[in-house]
Amino acid sequence: MMVDAILLVLREVLEAALIITILMVMSRKLGFSLHWILVALVMGTLSSWALAHYAYTIADALGGTGQEWTNALLYFMVVLAFIVIAAFIAPLLFNTPHQLRHLAREDTPRLNRQLLVAAAIFAVGLSLAREVAEIWIYLGGFAQQPDKLESALTGGAIGLGIGASLGAITYYLLVFISVRRFIYLLFSFLILLSGGLATQIAKQLLQIGVLDSAAPLWDTSRLVNEHSWLGELLYALIGYDSSPSAIQVIFYWLAVTPLIVIGIWQWRRRKLAHA
Amino acid sequence: MIKRKLMLLFACALPLSAFAAVPEFTIEIRDHLFFPSTLVVPANTKIKLVVLNQDPTPEEFESYELNREKVIMGGAKAIIFIGPLKPGDYPFFGEFNPKTAQGVIRAQPEG
Repeated sequence: MMVDAILLVLREVLEAALIITILMVMSRKLGFSLHWILVALVMGTLSSWALAHYAYTIADALGGTGQEWTNALLYFMVVLAFIVIAAFIAPLLFNTPHQLRHLAREDTPRLNRQLLVAAAIFAVGLSLAREVAEIWIYLGGFAQQPDKLESALTGGAIGLGIGASLGAITYYLLVFISVRRFIYLLFSFLILLSGGLATQIAKQLLQIGVLDSAAPLWDTSRLVNEHSWLGELLYALIGYDSSPSAIQVIFYWLAVTPLIVIGIWQWRRRKLAHA
Repeated sequence: MIKRKLMLLFACALPLSAFAAVPEFTIEIRDHLFFPSTLVVPANTKIKLVVLNQDPTPEEFESYELNREKVIMGGAKAIIFIGPLKPGDYPFFGEFNPKTAQGVIRAQPEG
């Protein structure tokens, strides 16, 4: 029971912890204040509570497809926030270390900073809303059974603790790498996470029959099982799916293409400037 | 003549209506268990799965093999579309009670 709670909570918070960590490191590397994370945490927790509180109404809405449409919308908005963040940090790609220090600390226009922070708040808040809502619903199921609730809460706290610790370790590992390397890493992460989230949107639409399922394009479940720890980790990192259908792969590329185009455009611009 | 035309029209429409009707199957959740725990469905066909949660507590229907996950509140009903599936077994479980809530969807060729 307690182990179930640990695993459930950990699975839900893993992806959110990764997003929070990498965006906090981004703030630090670019010399922003970290206050925004508090706003994002409060916003995320409140909206997750609202989602859980109105879970019946949401599930019944739109002919019983409300849950999937809500999830799809939340995933979509996080992908949009990631694209905005990528667009703002893209000019920092392909700079020399000297230019980068200059750009990051002093020359970033105030409006850009505000938009970047707003996008970060949305990315964290909306990711938390979805993941934490499921935890509220799970814990709410034990409301009438005090003994079980206690062990579920303890398990949940341990799961949250493990998730937070993994986040903290990642944070300090990333803090020590150079700004230049971190910008590349952040950009790559944004591409991978956006692609993973986009396949989740497709999955929600397949589930309610809006999109038609077809046979999976491939099956790598023998190579990396989704039940395994590596599978769970890859799921959180890149939305790993061992047997995706063609439509999921199409959604993946729809989300990833704008980011790759932004990256290539910056690289060309930099190359022309040096020529 | 008109009658024949109508019959012809009806015959043409039949395969269409057969295509539109998605076969429906029901699974119930009681005491954190799935009933039936093995559900046989036709292979290579899109299926509408109705999951009735008879427990007062919420459950999450989850399957890695079917690529589906959906929270079903206590006493609520959920609809999940699956397939077309290749013949074979597709395990599913209740994420909130993973030890007890286990089941399999068996896709079998018709005939």
